[in-house]
Amino acid sequence: MLRAMSQPSDVVFDPAAAYPGITTLRAALARRDWAGARAVLDSVSPSDRTALIRTCGDEKDLEDFLRYVLRADPRDGAAAALLGFHLVHLGWEIRTAAWAKDVTKEQWAGFREHLRKAELVLIDAAAYNPGDPAVWTSRLLSARGLSLGIAEIRRRYDRLNAAVPHHLPGQMELCYSLEPKWFGSWEELHAFARDCALAAPPGSPHGGLVAEAFFARYGAADDDAERARLVRDPQLQADLQRVAHHSVLHPGFAREYGWVRAANAYATLFTLLAERPAAARMFGLLGNLATVDPWGPSEENAASNFRKARAWALGGAQ
Amino acid sequence: MIKQTEVSGIPAVIAPTTGPMHAGLVFRVGFADEPLAKRGITHLVEHLALHAFGVADYHYNGATGTEYTFFHMQGAEADIVAFLNGVCRALNDLPMHRLPTEKEILRTEENTRGEGPTEALPLWRHGARDYGVATYPEWGLSGISPDDLRAWVSHYFTVENAALWIAGPAVPAGLELTLPHGERRPAPAPSSALPVRPAFFPGPSNVVAWDAVVERSTSAGVFSGVLERSLFRSLRQESGLSYTVQAAYEPRSGGRAVVTAFADALPEKQGAVLGGFVDVLASLRLGLIDDADVTAVVNQRVEELTRAEENGTRLPGQAFNLLAGRPVQSAAELVAEVRAVTRDDVAAVAAAAFADGLLMTPGRTGADWAGYTPAPSDSDRVAEGNRYGSMDDPELSFVAGERGVSLVNDGSAATVFYDECAVLLAWPDGARRFVGHDGIQVHFEPTLYPNGHAVVPALDARVRPELRATMPSRDPDRIPRPRPAQPAAATSGGGGRTWPVIVLVVLAPVLLFFGFLGLIMGLTAFDDDVDVALEITIAVMFLSFAALAGWGVFWAVRRLRR
Repeated sequence: MLRAMSQPSDVVFDPAAAYPGITTLRAALARRDWAGARAVLDSVSPSDRTALIRTCGDEKDLEDFLRYVLRADPRDGAAAALLGFHLVHLGWEIRTAAWAKDVTKEQWAGFREHLRKAELVLIDAAAYNPGDPAVWTSRLLSARGLSLGIAEIRRRYDRLNAAVPHHLPGQMELCYSLEPKWFGSWEELHAFARDCALAAPPGSPHGGLVAEAFFARYGAADDDAERARLVRDPQLQADLQRVAHHSVLHPGFAREYGWVRAANAYATLFTLLAERPAAARMFGLLGNLATVDPWGPSEENAASNFRKARAWALGGAQ
Repeated sequence: MIKQTEVSGIPAVIAPTTGPMHAGLVFRVGFADEPLAKRGITHLVEHLALHAFGVADYHYNGATGTEYTFFHMQGAEADIVAFLNGVCRALNDLPMHRLPTEKEILRTEENTRGEGPTEALPLWRHGARDYGVATYPEWGLSGISPDDLRAWVSHYFTVENAALWIAGPAVPAGLELTLPHGERRPAPAPSSALPVRPAFFPGPSNVVAWDAVVERSTSAGVFSGVLERSLFRSLRQESGLSYTVQAAYEPRSGGRAVVTAFADALPEKQGAVLGGFVDVLASLRLGLIDDADVTAVVNQRVEELTRAEENGTRLPGQAFNLLAGRPVQSAAELVAEVRAVTRDDVAAVAAAAFADGLLMTPGRTGADWAGYTPAPSDSDRVAEGNRYGSMDDPELSFVAGERGVSLVNDGSAATVFYDECAVLLAWPDGARRFVGHDGIQVHFEPTLYPNGHAVVPALDARVRPELRATMPSRDPDRIPRPRPAQPAAATSGGGGRTWPVIVLVVLAPVLLFFGFLGLIMGLTAFDDDVDVALEITIAVMFLSFAALAGWGVFWAVRRLRR
């Protein structure tokens, strides 16, 4: 504890460090200032707006406040999307992240009830704002929890993509749904992530989708042999490299929403592959900005792995 | 311009036409009037009335609908006169010798007719009465007698319950239309099997369908057109999920109207078609209606009306209006009404329709997540009475009581009370099916219950005879038999039969040994005075062992006999 406090900026997980909008939005919500919240949300890019809304959906006790806001203006897509994310979050708090078999009947009922409430808000919101990417992203989340199936999730994604192409927060949600534990397979997940990454303009952070998809599979692998096979898989590795050059390794790599996750995922990958110069480049971008995934299962564990990798990667330059 | 007149006491509408002359005679009777036990009787009357024209080269036909039955023909004036007079003659004296043949024809017609995508909706909305009856097969056919037919005709096919339309210059000479006198028979009041709406029920995996009952109005007709355009745009043009997307508006004589819509789906896309459908209904409910859609539908309706006025196809609808006691409207009036429909009018209908909606969700999907309540598919009460366990399914039991019957299966029940029974289907082999007013069915196969055939007469006695419909004999192969208990176990030697056999081998000698000894001890205990108490105690103990073994042997024998 003392050590951590003595080096406060050594490794930082708080997304607010990279995205200062989070702090401003949290403050506005805490003082129930919707005009202030909207001022933050209306001033950023669609991806940043959705990401801010998604992150702040985890704040406490927003339901009454947001319902009040929506009564005054049912067409407020930001309020509806935030309420949607918030209700889904409350549902997951009841369900917990335990294995499905360990979730009690009461927990399932509470979970489903909150997701239904979210969906009812979002059905109207999507009708009022068919072009609002935050609403559609929130509906991707509710559809997954309600088990509406991959066809409906794809339809929602298609509506999102038609309204706002390359919407990274929505693509991240579809990626989750394409994991085998939900409605897809590793092959579908990889193909979708790769296609999104390569379709995005050069230098976009969308490449992170492919590295994250790789680590989702790597983390779920049964044994070391399977993990070794994944690291050597020529097609997979070729795609990862191609996407890296289109994204995180591109000279025009932009620090827009998702860049911290993308650079962390690729930093982990380059460390795993012992590609020191590429890893060093990622750490050069990141400085102290870390994400827990895919470095480790907990902040403590991830921080230690991040430090070690950074020391190894930058060791040559020091 | 439509004029009103009267022919032989029958009210008529008449208007000139640009095409060939046509005319029709309509009666206010249809499926909605049929008790389920006589289901098919109107259709049978229609067939019998047309039999005389069997092979003639006429453009004639008959049609039985939910509320109206009509006979119509297009052709030369003399042929039309002969046809309509002939239909009336046949109604006065139905060719009963044709009865068995026409019943067979109707069974074939029913068998070859595919089930429409929206056919299940009336049943779930109204149950097994009036407007729900259309969904059911023509169960009455086998049992309908000549007397039934004569009674049906004299009740509904009368001067007072008929109307006529003529598309032509004038009432043709020689049109007599001799019919018995009776009364105007208003359409029945619709029953409801939906305590809460909007509601949903599961349907086939390749279609999403929906309906709603709203006030009959021109704006409701425009709403159905707007709904079809919205569904088509979303499901076909934008998402490419459906091929056929349709909506329809059907007025009812009681001042209400039904709006129906459906979209087809590939089974693997069923969730997405449902999602898109739900979103379209939500948009319309919120009044998010495109002015351009309203204008397009209004223009289309005006064009249809103008064309219908020219070729006389508005006339049948106006004849229906005469029977429903509604005014005959001129095309100009209707066009003005259609043109006056605004976006807000359509939005108001949309909100009312949504609130009354019944959604048929595809396959294993549901719509509780979208705010729809499951339509009742089982009963919340169980009949009190004797309970019979099924020999086929250990979870299932049949209850026959004083007031009703139930099938109980793992916590859920289907119950039909005799005084809420719509029909009792009776097969010659003893099978019975009760259908309640709410559409819930209880099917009883006597072969699947111990002593099942003994129960049947008691069941029959409790249901009013007019509710009974006799079914044709079944192929013996189609009469179910209880599945033999675990057939694989006997051959493999493991599982089901092993334990009873072991128990039998071990316990039968135990039973004989202790039973014999216990009896001897008991009987000899009183022969002398030595240790009577001890001998009796031992005898009782031995007999207790024997009783335990006996219970085991009894259990084993029962298991082996099953």
